[in-house]
Amino acid sequence: MSLKRITKELNDLGRDPPTSCSAGPVGDDVYHWQASIMGPPDSPYAGGVFFLSIHFPTDYPFKPPKIAFTTKIYHPNINANGNICLDILKDQWSPALTISKVLLSICSLLTDANPDDPLVPEIAHIYKTDRAKYEAQAREWTKKYAV
Amino acid sequence: MTDLESDDSLLLEFEDDDSESISNIDAPTDSKATHLDSDFANIPPHNVDTDDSEFDIDESQFSEDDLEDDYLVFPIKKTTKDLLDEDSLPSLKYECLTTQEIFDSMKRRVHHLQPVFSLPPQDILILMQRYDWNEERLLEEWTEKMDNLLIESGLNTSGESDGRGVKNGKEFFCPICCEEILTETFSLECGHEYCIDCYRHYIKDRLNHGKIITCMDCSLALKNEDIDQIMGGASSVKLMDSSIKSFIRKHSNSYKWCPYTDCKCIIHLKDTLSLQEYSRLHASRFVTCSMGHSFCFGCGFEIHAPADCRVTDQWVKKARLECENLNWVLSHTKECPRCSVNIEKNGGCNHMVCSSCRHEFCWICGGDWAPHGSSFYQCAIYKNEDKNKLVADTPKKTLRRYAFFYKMFTEHEVSAKLDWKLGETVGFKVKGLQEKIGVSWIEGQFLTESLKTLNEGRTALKWSFAVAYYSDPSHNLTKIFIDNQGLLSNAVESLSELLQIKSPEVIMKRRTEFYNKAGYVKNRTKALLECGRDLLRKGISKARE
Repeated sequence: MSLKRITKELNDLGRDPPTSCSAGPVGDDVYHWQASIMGPPDSPYAGGVFFLSIHFPTDYPFKPPKIAFTTKIYHPNINANGNICLDILKDQWSPALTISKVLLSICSLLTDANPDDPLVPEIAHIYKTDRAKYEAQAREWTKKYAV
Repeated sequence: MTDLESDDSLLLEFEDDDSESISNIDAPTDSKATHLDSDFANIPPHNVDTDDSEFDIDESQFSEDDLEDDYLVFPIKKTTKDLLDEDSLPSLKYECLTTQEIFDSMKRRVHHLQPVFSLPPQDILILMQRYDWNEERLLEEWTEKMDNLLIESGLNTSGESDGRGVKNGKEFFCPICCEEILTETFSLECGHEYCIDCYRHYIKDRLNHGKIITCMDCSLALKNEDIDQIMGGASSVKLMDSSIKSFIRKHSNSYKWCPYTDCKCIIHLKDTLSLQEYSRLHASRFVTCSMGHSFCFGCGFEIHAPADCRVTDQWVKKARLECENLNWVLSHTKECPRCSVNIEKNGGCNHMVCSSCRHEFCWICGGDWAPHGSSFYQCAIYKNEDKNKLVADTPKKTLRRYAFFYKMFTEHEVSAKLDWKLGETVGFKVKGLQEKIGVSWIEGQFLTESLKTLNEGRTALKWSFAVAYYSDPSHNLTKIFIDNQGLLSNAVESLSELLQIKSPEVIMKRRTEFYNKAGYVKNRTKALLECGRDLLRKGISKARE
């Protein structure tokens, strides 16, 4: 069942690709994808390309996919291992969501971080107290790792 | 005083024994680290009927006190009340419930709320669920933002119910599983339609979360009737059950699960104010569920009077830490002091008779039994080191001091457990009395009563060692407390010994002895508990790291 659904999502992505991201399987394994997101132009990540790995559970879409950044990124909700703190990837997941919708959510997370529910408290603290410093740091990391 | 002196030799012998063992404590021992923990789950419940209905406890005996208390649903199980029989303490008002009973009372509240909302009960149930069954908060929000509240809770405000429900089989492409097959479908008023299999899978996952289940693509809520329609049968019961469970977790101040293995009872404390009074007086709040399991409402541990929750917590933590070191204490066999045959203790009594050489000795101190039987029971006294040895290294001394108290604690724990085994045979004995000498059921009850008293005495004694360990040994009150321990030990041992008698004729002949000794144990237990609480209240016994 999950196979049909994943194949359908892949076809839909091919037919109507979102502007700022792309995704597709790594090799022959349909359950393991790689995705890329362009840093949103109105964010300190602009100009960078960020890669993510996607693992589908066998009972997808009833369980959320496991998504993590493989490119280093300076963000209050993304930690050094690339894990993302996003509600729709956890208890707010719904089977009606798709990879394309999730990637768009991650894009908007890059524009609007959620410092009140941080995964990296240090970055969240800087984000809240010294926004300029946060942006400079994020730009520097983008230049260093994502260009 | 003469008694005390005459027994000194015994005590020294015991301490020597101790020091030997302590020098070996670093040797690796097999793991029993969770001793206290795991055993707690297996402690037989108080007053559990081991036999048949004949073995029930006579209700009439308890009728004088506490029955006027409306909330005390189970006046028969009076174990905890006995221990807290004090004027200064407010009685605990509590009831024992199941999740179903809590849900039923929620449904009654929904019924009461119906005139306020003028909504179908199913909808009010959703609102209540969203507000964690907190009626006051719900009503507050309701007066502030009526319609928004409905929308936020996923209730349909249009008044139409078109399109809601399971639809008959048809050729359908489901966007969730991407299958195109002949299938039943379901959708709410929103029109987000999915195949019934996907909906079942989706709901099954969420039944245990206890949260409102919504449409897969929007926030419209599925009601219980929708869930039952999709799943078939009464699956919504499971959702309500988990919702009530999460309610209990959020209200752990007034709701507690019975900690005994597989027990499904929930204790609801009706007035949390009395709790503060209890902690001020260093008394513990013991409750008994309808299965007869008694536990402390404060810490969820077993009955631990005279220790309070803090002392208990420290003691248990310490026991867990030191357990590895003190494993030797827990061994169930000991050598006969005379012939070195290994002896396993098979009853609660500490009066041992070696089966091979007939030597009579005390299980606790290993000394001759003769001085114990008739005189002051010495083994409950921890004697400070010999004056000459006092300079010796303190860590070892502290450990030895702890070892003594821990040993006493576990001895009584093990004895209490063996007493429960004894309880089973007491049932047979009562039967034997009835069959062999034609004693009436009521007349035979003194045996079960004695056993109950014995167990309460042992529990109090056991935990008194935790209190004693944390007490200032030089204070006079501590000395009185230790004397009290000795007296209770003595009383408990002699009662325990009486209960070992097998012949029904002898039991009946010595019946008054049972009465007297049980009465004595009761008085001594009460005295010890009072004294223990005094120690805690006056700060002479203080839990510390």
